[in-house]
Amino acid sequence: MTIIDRWFARTARRLAQHTSRRSFLARFGVAIAGGAALPLLPVARPAGAAPREPAPGEPDPTSPEGDPNACTYWRYCAVDGFLSSCCGGTHTSCPPGTEMSAITWLGTCRNPADGKDYVISYNDCCGKDICGRCFCQRNEGDKPVYYTHKSNDINWCMGTESSIYNSTVAVVVGVATES
Amino acid sequence: MRTRMAGIGIAALWLAASSPADVPIEIPGDVERLAPLGAHHVVVADLLLRRSGIVDLDSGAFLGMFSTGFLTRGGVFPPGASEFFVPETYYSRGSRGARTDVVTIYESQRLAPVGEIEIPPKRAMNVLASGNDGVLDGGRFVVVHNMTPATSVSVVDVEARTFVEEIATPGCALVYPAGPRRFFSLCANGSLLSVTLDENGNKQRVRRSDPFFDPQVDPITEKGIRVGDTWIFASFEGYAVPIDVSGDEPKPGERWSLLDEADRADSWRIGGSQHLAGHAGLGRLYSLVHQGGADSHKEPGTELWVYDLARRERVQRIDLEHAGFELLGEPISFGESWPWPLNRLSDLLIYGLAPSFGISHVVVTRGNDPLIVTGSSLGGSLAVYEAETGTFLRRVTTGNFTVQRLQAPWGAN
Repeated sequence: MTIIDRWFARTARRLAQHTSRRSFLARFGVAIAGGAALPLLPVARPAGAAPREPAPGEPDPTSPEGDPNACTYWRYCAVDGFLSSCCGGTHTSCPPGTEMSAITWLGTCRNPADGKDYVISYNDCCGKDICGRCFCQRNEGDKPVYYTHKSNDINWCMGTESSIYNSTVAVVVGVATES
Repeated sequence: MRTRMAGIGIAALWLAASSPADVPIEIPGDVERLAPLGAHHVVVADLLLRRSGIVDLDSGAFLGMFSTGFLTRGGVFPPGASEFFVPETYYSRGSRGARTDVVTIYESQRLAPVGEIEIPPKRAMNVLASGNDGVLDGGRFVVVHNMTPATSVSVVDVEARTFVEEIATPGCALVYPAGPRRFFSLCANGSLLSVTLDENGNKQRVRRSDPFFDPQVDPITEKGIRVGDTWIFASFEGYAVPIDVSGDEPKPGERWSLLDEADRADSWRIGGSQHLAGHAGLGRLYSLVHQGGADSHKEPGTELWVYDLARRERVQRIDLEHAGFELLGEPISFGESWPWPLNRLSDLLIYGLAPSFGISHVVVTRGNDPLIVTGSSLGGSLAVYEAETGTFLRRVTTGNFTVQRLQAPWGAN
C-alpha cells in the first residue's frame, strides 16, 4: 500500500468512526451532489453512572413528555429492539393485532423531567414479524442472558400465542428506590 | 395467406435444424452440488432474511444457502461430517398457528434438508451469536438451549436420529460443549452447571461449580469461544476468563487482563455481538475493542487486538476497515478500475462520509492460512484480513441484510 493509499484509508476510517448512522443518507446525498458536508446528528451513547445530564435529543428537563419515537427518550435506556411507537403502537401500547408479552425484562431509567429513577418494564409485542422501524439499542444495566430478567438480548415473546417478535414498549411500573 | 405462413414456418425450422449450433443444446433441470467445503468458506447468518449464506472468502463467490426459520443463526457443524444440523422454530401459519421446533438435518454437499428431529417447542430465542446450540465432541449429540423462561437443554442423538431428553438447568442458561458426553451452562450466581450424559445421551450427573465471577460487579459475556480444550470468555471489564474442559469437570482458570493500565485510562473496552475469536494453531486470541463507558459491552469495535495465548499478552493492534455497504446483494462502490488516485474516490466518499455501523462480529478461519473475517450487524458485507499479519485483503458481498453470526466450521483446526 502506498503512503497516499494509507492516508486515504486512514482518513476514511476516521471519518467513518466519527459519523453517525442517521446522517448517512443526508450526507451521502450531499456528497454525491458535490455539496458540502452537513452537521452531524448526535449518536446516543449509554451513560456511565447516574445521575447524569440529559443526553442530546433527550427531553428538556422542563418537558416531561419528550419524544417517544426517539431512541434517546428517557424510558428507552435499556431497550434493544424496534420501538412500538414507530410501528403502529405507542411507547406503552403494542401495534394493532399484536399481543403484548406478560413477562419482560426490567430496566431502571432516570427521567430528566423530575430527576427520579423509574423501573421500566420492556414488554415485547408479539405475533407479527419484525417491525423494522426505529431500531434502538441502549444497554444501561443490561446483563448477559444467564442473568435473565436483566437481559435485553432475549426475545420476551414467551407465554404468548406466538413467539414471533415485532416490537417493544417501555412501561413505567414503579419508582426505583435505593436498595 | 395461411399457406404462405406455413411455408415460412417450415423454412425457419429447416434453417434451425441445418445451421451449425454455436451453443450446445442443454437440458434444464441441473442443480449444483457443493465441492467439499474448506477453511476459507464461512457461514453468514441473517436474522431478517431468515437464512444463512455460505461464501468463499478468496473468490468472493456466493456458494449457496440454507433457510433457518425465525431467530436461528447458522447451524451446528460436526467436524468432518457429511451432514450439519439446524435447530429451528416454525409456526404452521408463518408467524402464527401451531409451533414446531426441530433439528433439521442437512446433507452438506447438496445443502438440502434430508430429515428432521422434533424437539420440545421451547427453543430459546434471543439475538446471541453463541451459546444457543452446539455439538458435543465426537459429533453424536447435538444440544439445544431452551428458555420458556424456565431454562433447560434438549439433547438430540443425531446418529440415531432421535430426541433423547430435556435436562433442566435451573438458574443457569446457554450451552457450551465440553467433551463427548458433557456440556456446561452459565449461572446467574456466577457459577457454571456441568451436565454429564451417559452413553445414550441421558443425564448422568449434574454438578454446580463454585462461583468464579460476580455477575453484579463484572459479568462475563455469553460470547465465549473454544480454542482446543479451553473455553475463553471475556468480562465486561476486560478480563479473559478461561475454562478448561479437558478433565472430568469444567475448571475455571485464572483470569488475565486484556487491557493494561494505559488502555483502561484511555477507556478501551471489549464489546460487540461476536467479539472474540481464536486460532488454536497460531495460539492467538482476537478481541474487538472500542473506547467507551460503562454498559458499552455491545458497542462495536474500532480495533481488533491480538493476543498470544501462551504468554497472555497483546502482540498486535489492527485498525479495522469498514466492512462495506451492499444493497440487495450489490456492493455500493464505484470507480475501482479507474486510474489512481481516482480509484480511491469510492473509499473516501462512501466509507469516509457514510457512517460505519461498526464491527460487531469477528471470526478467524481454521487451517494453515487463516483469515480474519469481520462484519457489521446492520450490513451484509464482510471484510477479510490475513490472520497472521492483520493485513486487510478485500471485502466480500453476501447478499445478507444483516450479519448475525459468522461461522468458520471447516478445515483442520
